[in-house]
Amino acid sequence: MNRWTYIRNKAIWSLFTIIFVVVLNFFLFRVLPGDPARQGIRDPRLTPEAIEAIRIRFGLDKPVINCIQTINPFRAGSCEINPLDTQFFIYVKNLLRGELGISFYYNRPVSEILGERLWNTILLIGGGQILSIIVGVVFGILSAWKARTPLDYGVLVTGLVAWSLPTFWLGIILLFWGSTHGFPIGGKATPGMSSYPFFAQLTDMLWHLLLPTLTYTIVFMGEYMLIMRSSLLDVLSEDYILTAKAKGLSTFQILKDHALKNGMLPLVTIIAINLGFTVGGVIQIESVFSWPGLGGALFEAVSRRDFPMLQGGFLLIAISVILANFLADLMYSYLDPRVQTE
Amino acid sequence: MSIQTVEIKPIIPSASKNFWQTYRQSRLGIAGLILLLAILLTAIFAPLLAPYDPKSSEGVGAGQVYNAPSAAHWFGTDDAGRDVFSNFIYGARVSLIVGFFASFISVFIGGTIGIVAGYYGGRTENILMRFTDTMLVIPDLPLIVVIVALTRPSLLNIIFVIGIFGWTTTARMVRSQTLAVKSRKFVLRARAIGAGRAHIIRHHILPLVMPILVVQAVLVVSVAVLNESTLSFLGLGDPTALSWGQMLNYAFARGAMSTGAWWALVAPGIGIIWVVLGLILVGQGLEQVLNPRLNTHHLMPSRPTIKSEAAARSGEQVLLEVRNLSINYINEGQAPACAVEDVSFTLKEGELIGLVGESGCGKTTLMLGLLKLLPNAGQIVNGQVYFKNKEITTLSDDEVNKVRWRGISIVFQGAMNALNPVRTVGDQIAETIIKHLPDFDSAKIPARVTELLDLVGIAAEHKEQYPHQYSGGMRQRAMIAMALACNPEVVIADEPTTALDVMIQAQILELLDQLRKKLGLAIIFVTHDLGVVAEMCDRVLVMYGGVTAEYAAVDTIYNTPLHPYTQELLKAFPDLTKPKKKLSSIPGYPPRLDDLPAGCRFAPRCPAVFDRCRTEQPALHELAGELHVVSCHLVEAIK
Amino acid sequence: MSQQNILEVRGLKKYFEAGRPRLFSRSTRRVHAVDGVSLDLRKSEVIALVGESGCGKSTLSLLLMGLEDPTEGRIIFEGRDITHLNDAQRKGLRRKIQMVFQDPYESLNPTQTIEEIVAEPLQVHGLATSRQVTDEKVKKAMEDAGLKPAEVYLKRHPHELSGGQRQRVVIAAALVLEPEILLADEPVSMLDVSIRAEIINLLAELRITRKIAVIFITHDLGSVGFFADRVAVMYLGRIVEIGTMLDVLERPQHPYTKALISVIPVPNPRLRHERTILQGETPNPIDLPTGCRFHPRCPVAIAICKASDPSFVTLSKTHQAACLLLVK
Repeated sequence: MNRWTYIRNKAIWSLFTIIFVVVLNFFLFRVLPGDPARQGIRDPRLTPEAIEAIRIRFGLDKPVINCIQTINPFRAGSCEINPLDTQFFIYVKNLLRGELGISFYYNRPVSEILGERLWNTILLIGGGQILSIIVGVVFGILSAWKARTPLDYGVLVTGLVAWSLPTFWLGIILLFWGSTHGFPIGGKATPGMSSYPFFAQLTDMLWHLLLPTLTYTIVFMGEYMLIMRSSLLDVLSEDYILTAKAKGLSTFQILKDHALKNGMLPLVTIIAINLGFTVGGVIQIESVFSWPGLGGALFEAVSRRDFPMLQGGFLLIAISVILANFLADLMYSYLDPRVQTE
Repeated sequence: MSIQTVEIKPIIPSASKNFWQTYRQSRLGIAGLILLLAILLTAIFAPLLAPYDPKSSEGVGAGQVYNAPSAAHWFGTDDAGRDVFSNFIYGARVSLIVGFFASFISVFIGGTIGIVAGYYGGRTENILMRFTDTMLVIPDLPLIVVIVALTRPSLLNIIFVIGIFGWTTTARMVRSQTLAVKSRKFVLRARAIGAGRAHIIRHHILPLVMPILVVQAVLVVSVAVLNESTLSFLGLGDPTALSWGQMLNYAFARGAMSTGAWWALVAPGIGIIWVVLGLILVGQGLEQVLNPRLNTHHLMPSRPTIKSEAAARSGEQVLLEVRNLSINYINEGQAPACAVEDVSFTLKEGELIGLVGESGCGKTTLMLGLLKLLPNAGQIVNGQVYFKNKEITTLSDDEVNKVRWRGISIVFQGAMNALNPVRTVGDQIAETIIKHLPDFDSAKIPARVTELLDLVGIAAEHKEQYPHQYSGGMRQRAMIAMALACNPEVVIADEPTTALDVMIQAQILELLDQLRKKLGLAIIFVTHDLGVVAEMCDRVLVMYGGVTAEYAAVDTIYNTPLHPYTQELLKAFPDLTKPKKKLSSIPGYPPRLDDLPAGCRFAPRCPAVFDRCRTEQPALHELAGELHVVSCHLVEAIK
Repeated sequence: MSQQNILEVRGLKKYFEAGRPRLFSRSTRRVHAVDGVSLDLRKSEVIALVGESGCGKSTLSLLLMGLEDPTEGRIIFEGRDITHLNDAQRKGLRRKIQMVFQDPYESLNPTQTIEEIVAEPLQVHGLATSRQVTDEKVKKAMEDAGLKPAEVYLKRHPHELSGGQRQRVVIAAALVLEPEILLADEPVSMLDVSIRAEIINLLAELRITRKIAVIFITHDLGSVGFFADRVAVMYLGRIVEIGTMLDVLERPQHPYTKALISVIPVPNPRLRHERTILQGETPNPIDLPTGCRFHPRCPVAIAICKASDPSFVTLSKTHQAACLLLVK
């Protein structure tokens, strides 16, 4: 199998997964109890006419999908209806146009709100991920190299403890500490900053980003340390390391040229698989620090019962993770030559 | 959050030691067990331990909101004036209940899918694993949040949702373990016996998948505990079951931050960490039992050489001289294992010496000792190695690095593992030139690599390929090319032909022989195969149980051997010139290096054994005339 | 068909699809693992199947065991065609043909005790009628396999035994079913030289005491010497030469056999001899060479070898070889 076949297969699979998520996302909101329409318009002050108007506005008067009026299997609907006029196809059609519906709470298009917030999340994940990988890799290598020394045990214990920290709790503790040490208590910018010059605004934002990123880094570095440590321990007991040593290479050369790339392979896989969990962490961090990102949006949507927002947020998160996963697969194929010629 | 991703490689547990004995060695595992037991007992005896009823604010006034820790309230009080300590104790119940039941669901689903996919293979496996991969990529916490938000937040719902979305890693892991077990020959043997699928799954697959499943279950519990607390913190918990996550939710949302009530925030967090850390540590301990990781690797320094009085040297002009070399393996709490004892030999320019012995006789240790490549536990306890009159065993790492490969290079056995899989073969050869010949014109290196590959019969187009694209024979040739890259004077060939087909083996041997003649190399040829040695060596050193059994010119070894081991070994060797001859075998087995017999190491298997052999180790007797060294009491008479 | 043949193999072929199965396309490239093998085995005869890795000898053993389905050809056991049987029909037959594997470390389940391993075949076949019967049979099989006294080993686990002892356990687990044929796939190649002879001698003994026919699969012509009655040499899925042990070892006719014999190391430096070392490696069994499949490596190939695929030439009553140079 050459690299292109590998990439093509991965691309097809990612596409398939996205389709699966799109379908899942639609039906999840229709199957589970609490019809979003009724949830959203439960306000007793609304007249039946007003409710009907809202139903029409959100397209909830249409059948869910051809032949099925609602998800209740005992209430089969008409099959003669135009398939293009069902909720599902309207949903897909809107998705293709980039429309995710109107937020119940903000009364603005969900895509617009999420679009603004996506970048904040990418900023948080990007910074946190890079930092945690650097810390994890460096300490993982040190720990494996100096196996069975106090340094190794220190890294091991730190890694295990960091690994078992609940993300939101660590955030709360850091926030608590930060609030008494002059750190901002949340959000992305100090109110009134918008009139300041760009550079001051940027500094202000980074200041706000510091504690969320720190939380992210601590939570994920533990796992990366441990993975890197055990993967490198495996690599360092391989025969080709003995060959490298017999070749007269120095310890540094062996680590750099023979161990690092091989030891990184499992880490790349882990990072790829981890992306889904990463998002879980981001929801918690963003809710604790009121960082205006996707995870925070999801959290707010839950508490406000803002279903279009919840639906759109989940979809965007899921698709981002699938795409990021695809990128990680590509990276792996460049790192490991065995993938190309399997 | 991401404990699910911990990688447990498929392994075949050995039923070697009793479970508890091995587990006990893992300090982390013990710590985890203690943490878990403590919290488990707390949860079970919550009504006895809690000073206050968790639901009512009995004994606590409305004015006692966010009271600091005191004798009456060890952990202070919360936003409604309830006792944090009591809530903490009852919170353990919720966490553990959700954790255990949810993980039961996950492990059951994951285990079933994994075993079915792994054992049945084919289309079934394809579909199941595609589905698993899809579920694995979909971020589970957002999905759980969405589903719980859409349903009624009850404990039962939470258990089900967490359980139903937590099985993917288990499925993957169980599948790869099942595949690993299935590919083992004992499963094929069971099929050959006539066993059906049900029998094989029950008697051969399950017993070997179960341990992995247990480790996995422990880790899945910790994920479930974390997920539950996160859901509760996000306000999606069961309002009737006050869990740690919920305590944090209330405290965080109801002003604990602004009032500075740190106790309301810290206590529940400690509870979560306690349980999760305990579970992870127990997981580590269990893994240690299943897959006892080697505690050493090749970059760990070996023990320093014990300097010894230099014995008189032979005085001959030789390239390499090994004098009375002894190497021990030292493991804490065990008697040192004498892997090599008092071995001496010399090597002249262009000479080929054969080092023969069965597995575990110390021949590889001896070779590694020559270049100070011993593993962590290895120690040179006596003797010297002179290479061009320079003593090597006491050199520093930097000084030895100059001798390695430049002066003495090694062709390792099993070249698949001895070559780095992610670097091209050409690159790995070039690396040695760059390291040892800094004056070499870097523009000419590619040409030199091509030349070296050509020397061993590999076409230049394979230069940019990776080891896995080579066949076994080609890898061994590439390894030889690499060994020659810096024009060494001595090449150690450590079983270079083991595991190769007879014809490829013959090709490699001929190649080595030609190179020796062409380049004037001195070769130490390590092997278990007496026939190979007879074909090409000048001198032969036969090792048994770490000591020299016999050392002489090749003709002497084959035609007038004096050590009973050499004699018996020759009889066990099939001789095509006399095909009808019955083979004789040596009864018994070679000794283990950590359990050597008191006297002569061959005594338990020797046909000519007498009393003295069992108590006294024979000295190395040097016979008069041509070089012939034998360590056997019987030789004294001849001498 | 001859009455004394216990097993007859006729034109047996096994092709595998090359590469992994795809979801949409079917691969047309095929691995010709076994490509037309015919062989007879007489009662209590020892036949050695010799060849390098990739010659198809291991696939052939799986076919004979019914663990793989042949693409073409027939296998006849005691006059009965057993080529395509379902699991239920094959079950009784399994007792008659048993197998010993190459790697005694791999072929024993580490979690079972020796007693469980040896008794397992009896349970599978419903022969473990009573505790007493099972114990007796297990004990007998173990002692026949040289594990004496059996009691010492019963409760041990495989890791507590040495390589040679483990291989004896595998043999005992085969013997317990009282088979008529024993297929030994490289049974000694993983063992130390000093104990190889033991296992070979054990197999040689069994064919006399138990009248078992043995198919001995090996890459080492040297080790077949003293106990094989006949030797078949395989190359790329086919038998290229077959004859009595002395026919093949002392009067080899096929150039491949000659080369194989010449490279066997002789443990005597006074007998160092000229060796015929074939260049290159066995071609992969996907793209087979035209004509005689050995011609690209054959030291004596002539023009016709490229075009014409040789069939067997009968050299004597017992000796056949497939080489165009032998056609006179």
